[in-house]
Amino acid sequence: MFVLKPQSGIPIYRQLLDQVRRMVASGQLAPGAELPSVRELAIQHAVNPMTVSKAYSLLEAEGLLERNRGRPMTVANRPKNATQLSRRLQQIQPLVEQTVLAAKQLELSEADLLKAIRENWEE
Amino acid sequence: MADATVQGSHLSKSFGERRVIDDLSFEVAPGEVIGLLGKNGAGKTTLLELMLGFTPPTSGTVSVFGHPSQRLPGPVKSRVGFVPQQDELLDQLTVADQLRVIESFYAHWDAELIERLCREWNVNTAARIKNLSVGERQKLSILLAFGQRPHLLVLDEPVASLDPLARRQFLEQLVEISADGERAVIFSSHIVSDIERLANRIWILKNGRLDWQGDLDSLKDSIVRLHIRGAAEAVAGVEVPGAISLRREAGFATAVVRGWKPELQHSLRAVHAVTVEVESLGLEEIFLELHR
Repeated sequence: MFVLKPQSGIPIYRQLLDQVRRMVASGQLAPGAELPSVRELAIQHAVNPMTVSKAYSLLEAEGLLERNRGRPMTVANRPKNATQLSRRLQQIQPLVEQTVLAAKQLELSEADLLKAIRENWEE
Repeated sequence: MADATVQGSHLSKSFGERRVIDDLSFEVAPGEVIGLLGKNGAGKTTLLELMLGFTPPTSGTVSVFGHPSQRLPGPVKSRVGFVPQQDELLDQLTVADQLRVIESFYAHWDAELIERLCREWNVNTAARIKNLSVGERQKLSILLAFGQRPHLLVLDEPVASLDPLARRQFLEQLVEISADGERAVIFSSHIVSDIERLANRIWILKNGRLDWQGDLDSLKDSIVRLHIRGAAEAVAGVEVPGAISLRREAGFATAVVRGWKPELQHSLRAVHAVTVEVESLGLEEIFLELHR
């Protein structure tokens, strides 16, 4: 369900945060959907259980996940559009920065880049 | 603190003139998995032996479950599992006999777990220990430490001779053991990728001192590599706070920074009119950078 790369410079809990956020934002994880338990996920990926529970707790604090007594955590029940625009933009920000940097290195103009994005968008 | 699993205070150890452990203070809490990293000869084994009371400190104190390591009462000792670098198996016994001998020392031996692991790890219990390979001996040493379901598990290079499959099985079992949050694990290894998976705290031992002692996550956040680009004179003038290495070429510089904060990216950009790309580093690269 998740792709965790311990050797990456990005801490494991943050990889998990990003993936859950994206899957919830896109609807891949629908409200009410169950997440694997901390134990399951930790053993499956052979990663530290506290790392997984840290990610789950942060997602709970964000209101994205709900903790249920004696049952797996679930995706919180709320309209999809409730994921604020600003938060969704925040998620794509690193990719935007990277793209802009690459464009500058290639000496592309802002107009060139916007044109390329527009063409991709319409595909 | 009453519930510290291990606590060290100004701990030092010298062998003759050579100070191997130099004034270390630390605390290990239940639920923590500590990855101990250091070059050969950095003092990892000595530190673990001090914790376990195998060797007296030259100065300072170290305690396990609140008892001085040098004088651990029997019931406390039985809560500690240890996998030494050099195994202490009895060559003339069979695997089954060795397991029985160790089992007899413990009131709370988990025979079911050991039976299952012998099966899953392909341990031949009928084999005589002197005929085992180095890897098989290592598996058995690990089983002996797991069987007592220790509340403190100390592993000194436990996986050096295991093949990748056996290492993964070992790691999965270690996760299971630590998943209840009540046990602490301290393990030293040169296989950084294993530590990166399992540990939530990292100790980097360098010249007898803890060069880093803290969360793996904060370590990854605080040591990064910067790629700085801009006009030649702008890049030449860049000063990077906290840089532990800095390499400049015309219009381009690479720096590894310790104590990184994301705000620094914007201030570097603003002050020096350069672009700054931040590269996160894996634990292995961080370890190498700290030893340059």
